[in-house]
Amino acid sequence: MVSIQQFSECITCHAWSPDQTMVAFCPNNTEVHIYKTVAEKWEKVHILQKHDQIISSIDWSIKTNRIVTASHDRNSYVWNLKMSEWVPSLVILRLNRAALCVKWSPEENKFAVGSGAKTVCVCYYEQENDWWISKLIRKKHNSSVTSIAWHPENILLATTSTDGKCRVFSTFIKGVDTRDSRTGAGSRFGEQIMQLDLSHTWTFGVKWSPCGDTLAYTGQDSMIYFVGDIGVSPTAQSLAFRHLPLRDVLFVSEKMLIGVGFDCEPMVFAADGSGTWSFISLLEKKTAPSGSKYGSQFTGAFGKFYGQSKHGSSNDLIEPAKPRGGAHENCITCIIPIKKEGETWTGRFSTSGLDGKIVTWELENYIDILR
Amino acid sequence: MLFTQCSIVRGKWGDCELRMAGDGSQEADNAEAIISRIEQKSQKIETLLKQSKPVEALKMALEGSPPNTKDERCKSANWIAVHRALMAVRDVDGMLAYLDPEYYDILMKYLYRGLSTGDRPTCEQCLKIHEKLTDKAGPGCILRSLADTVNTV
Repeated sequence: MVSIQQFSECITCHAWSPDQTMVAFCPNNTEVHIYKTVAEKWEKVHILQKHDQIISSIDWSIKTNRIVTASHDRNSYVWNLKMSEWVPSLVILRLNRAALCVKWSPEENKFAVGSGAKTVCVCYYEQENDWWISKLIRKKHNSSVTSIAWHPENILLATTSTDGKCRVFSTFIKGVDTRDSRTGAGSRFGEQIMQLDLSHTWTFGVKWSPCGDTLAYTGQDSMIYFVGDIGVSPTAQSLAFRHLPLRDVLFVSEKMLIGVGFDCEPMVFAADGSGTWSFISLLEKKTAPSGSKYGSQFTGAFGKFYGQSKHGSSNDLIEPAKPRGGAHENCITCIIPIKKEGETWTGRFSTSGLDGKIVTWELENYIDILR
Repeated sequence: MLFTQCSIVRGKWGDCELRMAGDGSQEADNAEAIISRIEQKSQKIETLLKQSKPVEALKMALEGSPPNTKDERCKSANWIAVHRALMAVRDVDGMLAYLDPEYYDILMKYLYRGLSTGDRPTCEQCLKIHEKLTDKAGPGCILRSLADTVNTV
């Protein structure tokens, strides 16, 4: 079943605990709320308060059980659980604009922060000083860094930016990383490995496929971009779709991807045998009535646009938007896999958005889509 | 669904750049050459219109649009050609059934250019087509035409 939980008015981001019994989210303010399921019910167990401004991103590490947060106050905190209390330690990112996204590296010995300062910070822990150090990748982006994604081999970092580009950097740090990885070997910190110049608009939601062979990201112009065979001879595919733009994506396998965004319903994309990606279908809530597409959200606006003659009322009164009957009622901004360490296929994932809901999806309920 | 297969312009692992096929990979022709090509196109459009083939005329007009240049004269000349064919279309459903989906985005851009003129008959025609095209191509098509600030019409 699809489970829907209304947690607040609006959620900026969320993350799951390693055992998936707890969820951490930011209810569009300076706090992180952590809820736990107790006997089928959600109970608030912790509130993390330290940031001064809205928290834009949360990531919860699986192996080390640490939470990292990034905020518009330009700082990050790494939270460690000590005696059932979450203890923050400040990470000075050295930014002059908001931190927008944060992600632990697969090895969890580093984390990266994208920012509005056209900069990416890569942070690592220094034992002797008990301190997180931030190293900056500067002067490579021409605008805000909207999302970041780690290659599974812990060295390469992909970014998307509002300058329309997707880039891949090496984050090799001496003393933290070893030279034995297949990708990014011999590269130095901050070196730009690749620049993808496929979009003319803002780009969002970059992700690597589980093996790290395919890169996907989205554009504000209702396009999704797939870059395959990275490392050998990259090939790119730009796919236009008829729905509103996407904000974030998730690879559930090497050949299937879920996109979420302004359309309020997740979209399924899949690759065929030859590696050509195409749009498959929307993931609708199973019980949703299959009413007219875009009914409530668009009829009002289009009615005005087309002179209202065919779209109901003749006066200027536009009916307030009715609930769409879908799982989400506003833009989905975040999609997170729910899986145990080492699993390659993601059968469950959760989405959160501007409507303040966290929705948990089970792909097994959509066998017809998975063909 | 439409997709564009892209080609690699510079392809060494370590420093490669991918661009959309047919986008900026060749230097734009000079404005005079583009204008004379649009003039030839306009003559063919007139011939098709005389033969009462407005849909073929529109397809011809959208071919190679927008001109690969920043020159406003070229863009205006091409708009005049598209406008001429657009206004001759009577059967909108038939036109959209005939037109390949790859032309939807560029047609949408010209519909917005038409709406921006404020000319009543033009706006009425553009609104009529806009409604049908949105049914067919979805709001994604509108987003693509509005969000692209590089290939403007």
